[in-house]
Amino acid sequence: MSFLNKLGIGVGAGAGSGREVSRAMGGSGRPRNNGVSPVAAVGATRTAELRESNRPSNGLKEFLWNLEGLGRGALLDLGPAWQTTLSFFIERGFRVSSEDLLRAWKEFLVEEEGKLHEAAGRAAQHTLDVSPSARAARFLEANLQYPHSSFDAILLWDLLDYVEPVVAKQMVANLTELLRPGGVVFAMFHSKKPEGFQRYRVVDSTSLQVISSPVLCPAQRVYQNREIQDLFGRYRTMKSFIGRDQLRESLFIK
Amino acid sequence: MWKKEDVKSQRVPEAGTGISTGSLAAANNPAREVSTASVSSKASACISQGIRIKGEVTGSEDLFLDGHFEGTLNLSNDSSLTVGPNGEVKADIFAREVIVRGRVDGKIVGREKIQLWSTGNVAGDLQTERLMIEDGAVLRGRVEIETGRPIEKRDEARGAAAGSSKGGGISVSSGSAAN
Repeated sequence: MSFLNKLGIGVGAGAGSGREVSRAMGGSGRPRNNGVSPVAAVGATRTAELRESNRPSNGLKEFLWNLEGLGRGALLDLGPAWQTTLSFFIERGFRVSSEDLLRAWKEFLVEEEGKLHEAAGRAAQHTLDVSPSARAARFLEANLQYPHSSFDAILLWDLLDYVEPVVAKQMVANLTELLRPGGVVFAMFHSKKPEGFQRYRVVDSTSLQVISSPVLCPAQRVYQNREIQDLFGRYRTMKSFIGRDQLRESLFIK
Repeated sequence: MWKKEDVKSQRVPEAGTGISTGSLAAANNPAREVSTASVSSKASACISQGIRIKGEVTGSEDLFLDGHFEGTLNLSNDSSLTVGPNGEVKADIFAREVIVRGRVDGKIVGREKIQLWSTGNVAGDLQTERLMIEDGAVLRGRVEIETGRPIEKRDEARGAAAGSSKGGGISVSSGSAAN
């Protein structure tokens, strides 16, 4: 069984969604959609295909409160490039960098699977190290490449629930390096394994829009409070808010 | 069939501020889908699907790029660039307005406006006065919104140079093209 299947991302994962994109960022060719349309947008003509709902977000409110008076701060958004989210922060004077890390992770795994097949067809000396730690190292060599202390704030969303634990650990370590002292991370954790897959965007300073989306990656782990604290052990402050939807919003201040 | 008029009609209504929060609703209209098979003779300039170019492109006309391009793309201050759904660009891009429906690896400077459509995929920084991102677009890079002042001196100098060249049009230099 391939590691892609082990992670629940094998062919057919997210079946029924029918709207998944597997365009490789660094691929040489331009992958086609093969009949499936691109990832969902919340445009006027597409709303029927997606479920959206707004939820109050104390975590976001607190996040913004911590960033007050920052002036032209730098923010890293690790979710999809939503117009509303980018606009929200740019209009408040932030310099925003966007990197959909979960999409990159999915595409990375697909590429790894391809390399594995190639290696299997070649001599033994070309075998690929498929241990989770080696995979994490390869993924992070190609992503999150910014100078140290580049950002005042990071929107991590619920990303850590969806990547392998070893990747999550290394990712948090890398993000800590990217964050300036006093910088803030906004993360979300599911209190129980999520049934669907959803993405988030900022509506206003007190609420988020939750968008049910085709499954990009299935959840890998449900983190307990203690485990979250261990992950962010290098941060001086942690604050959590649990919503009615069993979503824990957490703020970490470096 | 792609026409220059189509591109004009694709433009989103002007927004008052640097960032438009409106979705590109019209962009979802399948009727607007661009046929990549043929190009109208009314189009100012077109690098169509199947064409590969390496080098530098400069000019003062609008350009529709649906092929592969690698190098540098400098259009004057009055010109717009549309990267078509089949377009793959590995280049820094400078133009008045840039519409991305394909893939771009490189920095994009759109003096007035940059539009990322749902099929757009950009790995590079964006620098513009107004940015419009359709849901589904992929962006990996930094966004700089700079309203009310020239983006880069280089851009102005290039625009002046392009404007002074009689006849305008698109020129391809120091590169190789292969079909």
